[in-house]
Amino acid sequence: MPITYEAVKALSAQLYDWSLRAVPADTKDGLGRALEAETHDGARQVLRMMLGSARKAEAEGRFICSDAGVPVYHVTIGTAARLEGDIKAAVSDGFDELVATIDPPLLKHVTNPLTNERGYKGKDMPLVTWDVAGGADWVEILCQPKALGSGRWAALETFSFPTLAEIEAYVMKVVLQAGSQHCPPVIVGVGIGGSFDVAARISSKATMRPIGSTNPEPVLAAMEERLLRAVNATGFGPMGTGGDTTALAVHVDYASGHGYTPVAVCFNCWINRRTRARIHGDGTVERLE
Amino acid sequence: MTSLHSIRMPMSREEARSLRAGDMVLLDGEIVITAGLPTVQRLVACAEEGRDPPIPLAGGSLMHLGSYSRDTADGGLEVLYMNPTTSTRFNALMPRLIRHFGLTAVGGKGGLDAACVEAMREVGCVYLSFLGGGAPLHSAAIEAVRDVAYPDLVAHYRLVRLAVRGLGPLTVGIDAQGNSLFDSLRHDAEARMPEILARLAADRAGAP
Repeated sequence: MPITYEAVKALSAQLYDWSLRAVPADTKDGLGRALEAETHDGARQVLRMMLGSARKAEAEGRFICSDAGVPVYHVTIGTAARLEGDIKAAVSDGFDELVATIDPPLLKHVTNPLTNERGYKGKDMPLVTWDVAGGADWVEILCQPKALGSGRWAALETFSFPTLAEIEAYVMKVVLQAGSQHCPPVIVGVGIGGSFDVAARISSKATMRPIGSTNPEPVLAAMEERLLRAVNATGFGPMGTGGDTTALAVHVDYASGHGYTPVAVCFNCWINRRTRARIHGDGTVERLE
Repeated sequence: MTSLHSIRMPMSREEARSLRAGDMVLLDGEIVITAGLPTVQRLVACAEEGRDPPIPLAGGSLMHLGSYSRDTADGGLEVLYMNPTTSTRFNALMPRLIRHFGLTAVGGKGGLDAACVEAMREVGCVYLSFLGGGAPLHSAAIEAVRDVAYPDLVAHYRLVRLAVRGLGPLTVGIDAQGNSLFDSLRHDAEARMPEILARLAADRAGAP
């Protein structure tokens, strides 16, 4: 059976709602491990509150943060999926339906960058990335509401034939710039190479990888491990008031490029909102995250 | 160990001066909140023009907290949820407000800059760091909504006076002696950076 406009619209709305009321399981596990390892008293207290806030949000269906972010979706369409209706409009209409029906209501965060006026709608909103999966008969939607606190500190610089030392020094420069500001412990996403836009997209996508997963490229796995140690050696700590836990993970990916090498660094705050589900060819919906 | 202080709001100047950066506090009483830059600009205009703000601030608090407030059927007001916003967005405006209104407590997340720290030291005011992503906890501490001003602004920009009970624990991020956890942590991280980069180089040398 075809994957319909209605199914994509309903799932787009549902994923956003789920995202606002829970912290993903991998992130709660990461916070739990951080609490065990943390040596700073105040930081332990803040980490305990984070876990308490996550539990209360989930148990009572409350929003974890008042900043419901702006709608960011990644939609992957299988080349063997049969589609019916305007799937592109379905994502946007799904967010509109969420805004109209969600309880409690969302605050207005969609901002016109030219006037700073805020509402629920705006040019090119929701921010949707479209991708294709060869052979698959499903449509997958990943939803990542993006808030101001961590979104503000992303940065990109373009180098020429950089060494790994230069790339890592730049990552640390951006980490230092963000300091206490991005609701740490964060997930750091690093994108290397490709082109300006590709590096930014890679870094953003890297934040979506589950915490605790190992990078399949040994060079990157080693880089992630040493960068995580380096970020946590800064001492900014949970909520930036001191401690051993400034990041829960550093995730790195890359694309081949020319030799001019953009390095993009972005952050996701500790609540790490992220949900993902697939609509299969037989009409069933499978929640993945 | 960090110490936990229960504090009645508005905080007295003596109490503000007695707190130290790194202490943790629980708040009972009344606080004033907003997450709006246009709101803080209006409050600065009140100070500049010698007008009273729509909600009194003298000797009180101003927290960078966003909330969703709405009218209730019985003519009252309710806040559905509340959470901190980034305070450094208000750096340029806060010294004027801290001095003019003699605020004893400000707060939000991420701290304030050196000019604010200096104003806070002069006046006897502390900065309280709230948990970001703490909406379920912070919202549960709201007892009542006393007043909402600037209804022409979007909900989280409005100026709201709240009664709270057991709000926190909050970390004293900046004390009235001029100590800022945010400044000292940044300073320490910068000082540590050569050592951190050297460790990265050593790790790279042993990596695949």
